[in-house]
Amino acid sequence: MLIMSIESTCDETAVAITENGRKVLTDQIFSQADLHAVYGGVVPEIASRSHVEVISQLSERALSLAGITKKDLDAVAVSYAPGLIGAVLVGVNFAKSVALALGIPLIPVHHIRGHIAANYIAFPELEPPFLCLAISGGNTMLVDVRGYTDMKIVGATRDDAAGECFDKTARVLGLPYPGGKHVDALSKNGDDSKYALPRSHVEGNPYDMSFSGLKTAVVNLVHNAEQKGEVLDRESLCASFARAVSESLVPRTMQLSRELGYKKIAVAGGVAANSRIREDFRLAAEKEGAQLYIPPLSLCGDNAAMIGCQGYYEYLAGVRAGSDLNAYANMEL
Amino acid sequence: MRILGFESSAKSASVAVCDENGLVAQYFQNSGLTHSRTLLPMAEDMLKNLSLTLSDIDLIACAQGPGSFTGVRIGVSAVKGLAWAAEKPVCGVSSLLAMAYNGVAAVEGSTICCVMDAKRGQFYNALFTIKDGIPVRFCEDRAISCSKLVEDIENLNKSVFIVGDGAALCYNALKNLSVNAVLAPEPLRFQSAWGVCMAAESAPAQSVHELLPVYLRLSQAERERQERVFGK
Ligand SMILES: [Zn+2]
Repeated sequence: MLIMSIESTCDETAVAITENGRKVLTDQIFSQADLHAVYGGVVPEIASRSHVEVISQLSERALSLAGITKKDLDAVAVSYAPGLIGAVLVGVNFAKSVALALGIPLIPVHHIRGHIAANYIAFPELEPPFLCLAISGGNTMLVDVRGYTDMKIVGATRDDAAGECFDKTARVLGLPYPGGKHVDALSKNGDDSKYALPRSHVEGNPYDMSFSGLKTAVVNLVHNAEQKGEVLDRESLCASFARAVSESLVPRTMQLSRELGYKKIAVAGGVAANSRIREDFRLAAEKEGAQLYIPPLSLCGDNAAMIGCQGYYEYLAGVRAGSDLNAYANMEL
Repeated sequence: MRILGFESSAKSASVAVCDENGLVAQYFQNSGLTHSRTLLPMAEDMLKNLSLTLSDIDLIACAQGPGSFTGVRIGVSAVKGLAWAAEKPVCGVSSLLAMAYNGVAAVEGSTICCVMDAKRGQFYNALFTIKDGIPVRFCEDRAISCSKLVEDIENLNKSVFIVGDGAALCYNALKNLSVNAVLAPEPLRFQSAWGVCMAAESAPAQSVHELLPVYLRLSQAERERQERVFGK
């Protein structure tokens, strides 16, 4: 079964062709990062404008690189929530029309479900159930993946997403957008115990998280240093920060896997590209005797292959949408 | 030539099919529901009720702005998807020109003033005159302040027929002046997909990749950045 999938929830426009879910024939990504760099973050209106400018060319290119024609397509999958609403609307309306014109099914896909499914592409042997930590610019959640389309959020951030915290830290340090990879690069040569940064704890659910305290601590630390004219050890600040984020995520995930009795742990989303988090997970899983799944960097960020993959499983579960499908800024997983 | 037209540049949304005899069908909704939910279902139902499919359509026309950024993008994205998948030519037309067709109800030689409320004290506007039953352009589409528009209309010294979602605002600004202004009756005030089809009839067709929204305005972030860098 050949699916054309479309992703436009943030600042990447992407179109992929996948076969039976896990085989990627092509995954075309047009990144707008340089359009937003001058603003230090994603500007929703600029993102939306860019999506509509490239979406038909990208679709054309995806088909030709996959070596197929429109008539070969069996379904269209689209990332319809959550995301920047103006941006999501472009992909959703384009996808609806393509499905309608070709007379093939339209499959709505939750963007975070897509991130989780990136693991199916990277690891052909992986099947539910497993525990997944989904970490990105907009979301941070621990998901009990009971089946391909049966998921339950066990814990989530109460405020900022982990990725937002990375972006803010990069911004306050004057690093270029997108900041995550620059923080990562600097942190590699720093002393991760030089700066004392808070580890959040929220009342009630031990698996819920909070990153606003950490974000504020970094911002205050940088501003205080500026006021006093002190020179910060940026490398060590980035290292201390990455460690603080990792220590909010990794032990919690491991504890939950023990509680749920899972020996399979997956990580998904843009922040899963962070080297400190990857390494800490590797060590923790090894110690625990658990099997760890983290997609390669190319599948951590937003892409359309992951939407096509999850779309295949949604299709098998009977999920369909009509030409009245809407886009949503927020949506339950 | 059979044209399928889409209009979603303001609060109302409409789709229409026109052929050489004129309007065949038009579906219109002014409910305030998002165009993402209404526009394509209207087109799907309309074609079904006409016993037509996309293969019977020669050209897909689309209001490409100015107007609501999001509204215009919903229409353009939907039209791009249809035209790309069905391999049809497209034609993007000005939402103001499409709206000017509502003015053919006015007498020959009248000025048609198309105004959309662009917020921030501005209108999206263009002026037309009715000649041989069709609107002929006086000026390019523009974002213009209310006072400047009033001045332009006064200088024309002709009777003016006002259409668009900014029509009432514009009319109120003109009514105490010595201008013979007519506020279009409500059903004629909204832009329509029929007008889009009419405007597309005499415009060159484009390839699907060439069809792009026309905003007439920068995004807020770009505008603020320019003001920071270059001053106001
Ligand atoms: Zn994402």
